Formats: sequence, structure tokens, C-alpha cells
Amino acid sequence: MKSIGKMTQAEVAAFVQSHLRKHKIYVTLSGGAAVSIYTVNRYVSADVDLVEDTYVDRNRIKIAMEEIGFREKNRYFIHLDTQHIVEFPSGPLSVGGEPIKHIKEIKYATGILRVISPTDCVKDRLAAYYFWGDQQSLVQAVLVGIHNRINISEIKKWSQAEGKIEGFKVFLKKYDDERQNSRR
Amino acid sequence: MLASLLGSKGSEKVLIFIATRGEGYAREISQFFDMDISTIQNQLDKFELGGIMASDTKGRTRLYTLNPRYPFLKELKQLLDKALSFYPEIERERLVMERRRPRRRGKPV
Repeated sequence: MKSIGKMTQAEVAAFVQSHLRKHKIYVTLSGGAAVSIYTVNRYVSADVDLVEDTYVDRNRIKIAMEEIGFREKNRYFIHLDTQHIVEFPSGPLSVGGEPIKHIKEIKYATGILRVISPTDCVKDRLAAYYFWGDQQSLVQAVLVGIHNRINISEIKKWSQAEGKIEGFKVFLKKYDDERQNSRR
Repeated sequence: MLASLLGSKGSEKVLIFIATRGEGYAREISQFFDMDISTIQNQLDKFELGGIMASDTKGRTRLYTLNPRYPFLKELKQLLDKALSFYPEIERERLVMERRRPRRRGKPV
């Protein structure tokens, strides 16, 4: 296997996840790194957010991470040979008030990566846009949408449940415009 | 009220304060409840780490809010609202009736 310093972000995430699985620690990739994967690195994030599927004692994570050369610093795990920073945000794995059920598995040379689906990735970014007005997250949601097959009606239903249908209309307009531009 | 459920009185007070006022910072909360600031800061850190609160800086102050992305936010707010309704009226009023209008610099109180 290649050294961690030569691994891409997705490969690092798959490597860490596979190692954690040996310790019966099950996590799923979410956040900016999922956006990077689904936009073929058009958006780059140094953070690898691994959300616990069920509650795991922090010390168990720390021990497992140290075995592969990561050390904890201010809630984050860093490795001297890679710029990618691993974080374990608190679960449950969710977007707004909805639990995430569909997990995608992608096989890399470094291991199997469990990652939220493109549709949930769009919802995750839209949540940041809806609740914090973060425009970068809106752009990322659109990017994920145009590079992947997403379920627009599911996103609309979720947005309605979150009370953010006006925000959804803004997203949809931007998404449709970008799709038309990319076809030209 | 909820201290035994949440693990401490500090946890309850921090949550009640932020839920009622919408936002708050450690010194403000510690002064309001006359509690040690490090106790309050520890609670705020714990809630932020758990995804229940979010924070951002305003000038030199770190302001905390309930995290709008927390999956149990609606249910948590309902619980805190109910707990607040059991608080003594005088304390409830102190929490709710907060001066929000601006105060010109140098103006005598």
C-alpha cells in the first residue's frame, strides 16, 4: 500500500475507516471531504469529517488513530506525513432533523470508504446555507448536484420539512442555470 | 428541573439561558446565574463538541447559539420551554426581559 503522504484525501479517509473497522468503530464520511469526492476535487477541503454511526468512547478512537500515526490536537487528529486533518464530529449522522440512511461504499486501494450519498451531501451543504446563510455551501450543493445523480424531489421534501422551501427555490434556480450552462 | 437528566445544574442553566435569549457568552451567563465562569465555559465547550451548540466570534467575544443543525433541536427546545415554565416567575422574567435596544456610549445609566 502507498504511504499515507501519497494518499489522496479519499484514500486517507478509506484507510482510516478500514483501520477503525478493525477496532469495531464504524464511521461515515460527511462534510467538505464528501463534497470534494463528488465534485472531483473542484472543491477542496483539508478536513476529513468521520461521523460515528453509534456512540464510541473518545479514548478508543484515540488509541486506534495513534496506531496509524495520527495524534490528537484540539479535537482534531493530525499526521506528520499528510495535510489531511481527521475530525470526528458528534453523531448521529443526520441532515437537519432527518437521520441519514443511505450510505454509499466506494472501493479504494487503501480500503472501503463509507460516504453519505450525493443527495444527502447536497442536503448537508444546503443545511449550512439554510441555517447560516453560507453562500459557499450553496455553491458546493450546486456543484455536487451537477456532477452527480441526485434526487431533487427528495431534497425538496426535506427542505419543506425543515421549513426552508424559499431557500430550496434559490438552490433549484442556481442548479438549473448551472446545468444549462454546462450543456452549452 | 432538568439537572438530573442533563448531569448538572450548570448544563441546565446554560441551555435555558441560550434557548431563552437566542445567544449568549460565558461571562454573561456566569454573571446572570452567579456561577463560576470556568464551570459555564466547560458546559459551553461540552455542548459545542456534542453538536448541540454552535459558536462564532463577535469582536473579542465568543457567542454561542443552539446549533440549528442539531437533529433534536425542535424536541430540545420544547423540553427547555416546558422547563422554563416551571421556573419562578421572577427568574423567568429576568431571563426573558433583557434590554435589547442600543445604549449610546457614555450615556449615564
